[in-house]
Amino acid sequence: MLFTTEIIGAWFAVFLTLAIFSFLYKDNPFYKAAEHLFVGVSAGYWASTFFWTQIQPNLFGRLWPKVDGEMGGLRAAWYGIYDFFGWFHSGIFPDGGIDKGHEMNLVYMVPFILGVFMLFRLSRKLGWLARWSMAYVVGLAAGLRLYGFLNSNILAQVRGSALPLFDGWGTAINSILIIIGTLTGLFYFFFSKEHTGMFGKISRVGIWFLMISFGAAFGFAVMGRISLLIGRFYDLIQFSGPEYHHATYWLLALIVIILGVQAFRERGRHQTESA
Amino acid sequence: MDKNKFINILIKLGKVDRRVIFLLIAIVVLIPLIKPLGLPIRATETTQRSFNAVDALQAGDRLLMSFEYGPSTKPEIHPMSEAVLHHAFLKGIKVYVVCLWPDGQFMAIDALNAIAPQYNSVYGKDYVLLGFRPGNEAVVKGIASNLRKLYTVDYQNTLVDSIPMMEGVYNLKDFDLVFSFSAGYPGTVEWVQYGSDPTGVPMTTGTASIQVNEIIPYENAGQLRGVIAGMPGAAEYEALVGKRGLGTSGMDAQSIAHLVIVLFIIFGNITYFLERKRSQKKY
Repeated sequence: MLFTTEIIGAWFAVFLTLAIFSFLYKDNPFYKAAEHLFVGVSAGYWASTFFWTQIQPNLFGRLWPKVDGEMGGLRAAWYGIYDFFGWFHSGIFPDGGIDKGHEMNLVYMVPFILGVFMLFRLSRKLGWLARWSMAYVVGLAAGLRLYGFLNSNILAQVRGSALPLFDGWGTAINSILIIIGTLTGLFYFFFSKEHTGMFGKISRVGIWFLMISFGAAFGFAVMGRISLLIGRFYDLIQFSGPEYHHATYWLLALIVIILGVQAFRERGRHQTESA
Repeated sequence: MDKNKFINILIKLGKVDRRVIFLLIAIVVLIPLIKPLGLPIRATETTQRSFNAVDALQAGDRLLMSFEYGPSTKPEIHPMSEAVLHHAFLKGIKVYVVCLWPDGQFMAIDALNAIAPQYNSVYGKDYVLLGFRPGNEAVVKGIASNLRKLYTVDYQNTLVDSIPMMEGVYNLKDFDLVFSFSAGYPGTVEWVQYGSDPTGVPMTTGTASIQVNEIIPYENAGQLRGVIAGMPGAAEYEALVGKRGLGTSGMDAQSIAHLVIVLFIIFGNITYFLERKRSQKKY
């Protein structure tokens, strides 16, 4: 039996899929192993990708871009620091600077320092420095989001709710429904007045619209989950073929047998304890 | 059979172990995958509008595709991205790919490697993969204002200045259409907020089912040209392009599974009301 890297990968994929599915029976070591592996690999992959797509080319690449020819004075001293780093890891800091198409821009020292501050979170004494970085991130995100939401989610949506009423019966009914739904929904979320009398009746209509919306969201959620199940089943069917040495059948049998033995043992133990 | 006995059986069935339901769903999904039924597929208006937006582009126009999904939503969104790539290469549209998710880059490589060779499309001339950049909405804002500042190299570390089709491309306004393939944050919402709305560049999207409710208001308000919704949307786009793919072949299983789930919901409600009625009678 020949096991190429592709076949080993397929066996691994089948094992992890079945290990995750095994949770539907009950929590078990296969599921735990797959879950932990997923979390670890995801964290490692994200960290590595962030470093090689942003920090190395766009941060270090702007602080120490590749230079041709002789350097003197301050610039030579600056690149002396770079050479010192390069002594530790020449892959990150290659000889002569980082060639990613950037010009030198020392303003990027600010994000570099803020990034280093973030790592001080691990220190009890200097942990407070990380707050500066967090404050910057939170402030930036809040500012960016405020602008985006105000423009696209409030102004554009208000404009979008100005609908034509007299463009055929279908359009008229649709427009009236959207307007009633929007207004009654907004009434429901107005909490400064008690929801009684006419106000209560209107907000109750709002609840109906919200319920329909939640129903649609639930329907879409089911559709999405079934699609993911279909995706996994595709792979399981594909990897059950002879070219993959029937990986699905072998691993399914192995997992079922081990879980069965475990269940049998647990049952025996429970019976002994209760006796 | 007397009425009480029948109600007893129904109530008992209503309390069936959840694992039996899992097993039934697995069976009804598996059978149509092994033996397809060939149920008809008809494009919904939102998918048709997405198709029309791409179809309106001319040969040589620039399409920016953004991959914001990973392996977890691949079955839903990958068929869409492949169908749109078919459409774009068929029409001679220049395709520029960026990724807001790190695993989106894998998805993009996979889709481009599968589709581009079928049309003899050349990297750097007909399509380019600029790759992933971290920063979420800041990346979209960066592309909108100055793409060259964010992307000095492509995903293979080739200098962007040396890629022929990057000539004349400096920011979002240099594109004719944005197509976002999104499974969450950052994704379509961020492209609308920081890309399409501020620049006025037309945009359309393909999203995971779970995101559709969040996205549809943007389409209704005209901020998006169209929406491809989940796997059914992918199947519809495949039908419009005339390229059957994973979306189409998954639709039988999807339809049957929905039918079974609806039956379960109806059955669950009937048994719930029967049980409630019985307990009310007792007291």
